[in-house]
Amino acid sequence: MQWAVLIAAFLASAVEFVEAFTIVLVVGITINWRSSLAGAFAATATLAAIVATLGVALVRFVPIDYLRLVVGVILILFGLKWIKKAILRYSGLKALHDEEAIFEETRAELRARGEEVAPRFEPFGVALSYKAVLLEGLEVAFIVITFGSSSATNVCNNTCGITSAAIGATIAGILVILAGIIIRAPLTRVPENTLKFIVGIMLTTFGTFWAGEGFGVAWPYADAFILVLAVLYLLASFILVMILRQSKQRRVVGVSMPKDATEVSEQEVLH
Amino acid sequence: MNAIKAIYNFIVGDMIILIGVVVTVLVLALINNVSALAPLRAIEGVLLVVAVLGVLSATLLREALGKR
Repeated sequence: MQWAVLIAAFLASAVEFVEAFTIVLVVGITINWRSSLAGAFAATATLAAIVATLGVALVRFVPIDYLRLVVGVILILFGLKWIKKAILRYSGLKALHDEEAIFEETRAELRARGEEVAPRFEPFGVALSYKAVLLEGLEVAFIVITFGSSSATNVCNNTCGITSAAIGATIAGILVILAGIIIRAPLTRVPENTLKFIVGIMLTTFGTFWAGEGFGVAWPYADAFILVLAVLYLLASFILVMILRQSKQRRVVGVSMPKDATEVSEQEVLH
Repeated sequence: MNAIKAIYNFIVGDMIILIGVVVTVLVLALINNVSALAPLRAIEGVLLVVAVLGVLSATLLREALGKR
């Protein structure tokens, strides 16, 4: 057992597991758990098939940078769509009662009457969960193989190094899943639109980060830069909400002013 | 045609977001592959973030003007 490799693989894999699990968690809460878990399990099966087929040669055959780029761009597209909807709702430009909200209301009514609604598969949720788990899972596999292979010494051969790294990664995965189960309950109490806004921010953040990595961008502070990106997008979104709200208020005042003026002149005529 | 429309609606459903992101990716691909543009590689990350924010602002602006 190589403890240094085990700890290094644990730490590096924990970051990747957190990234993947965050998306699985938010898809589960905002869309439904059936879709989220279906995507995650399908990705795990794909990952297992890839690792079983390619083994250590995975590092040579899977173009991880292209994969990051493709997944990153798709996440940016998904994320921007969600942020846009949430910002329009916050600023009052889009009614909260759209089709999705009506569907949710109907579901809540049915639940209140004691009729259970079977959660349906949402392709969007399945795809999101699948892509995130597949990409991050591949990154974990890369970490295990590269850390394990590069640590081969006279005392511990290639297989021994990879086993140590795999144990570290497995412990990280189990801990992240346990932590996720604990924080799942408080998250369900957050309002729907707020959650969707946060999901949009996260998808865009991860998308930008991965697409950048796909283009070979070396982000400052490595994976910690994800937090900086998230804060940046949050701030920008708040500014956009404020601008849109002000613009709406100005329009409302602009529309009501001539009406008021007409009312006053009508009253003057009557008197 | 319906299939293409379904995929478009599933992935993005907004032409400004789609075109904006595609143009951004093309520009970054050019910067990555054309040697004359190599000095810009240092600011690729910044360009990507600015482009994403620009696309978001543009699509919101269109919605705001459309409501007018």
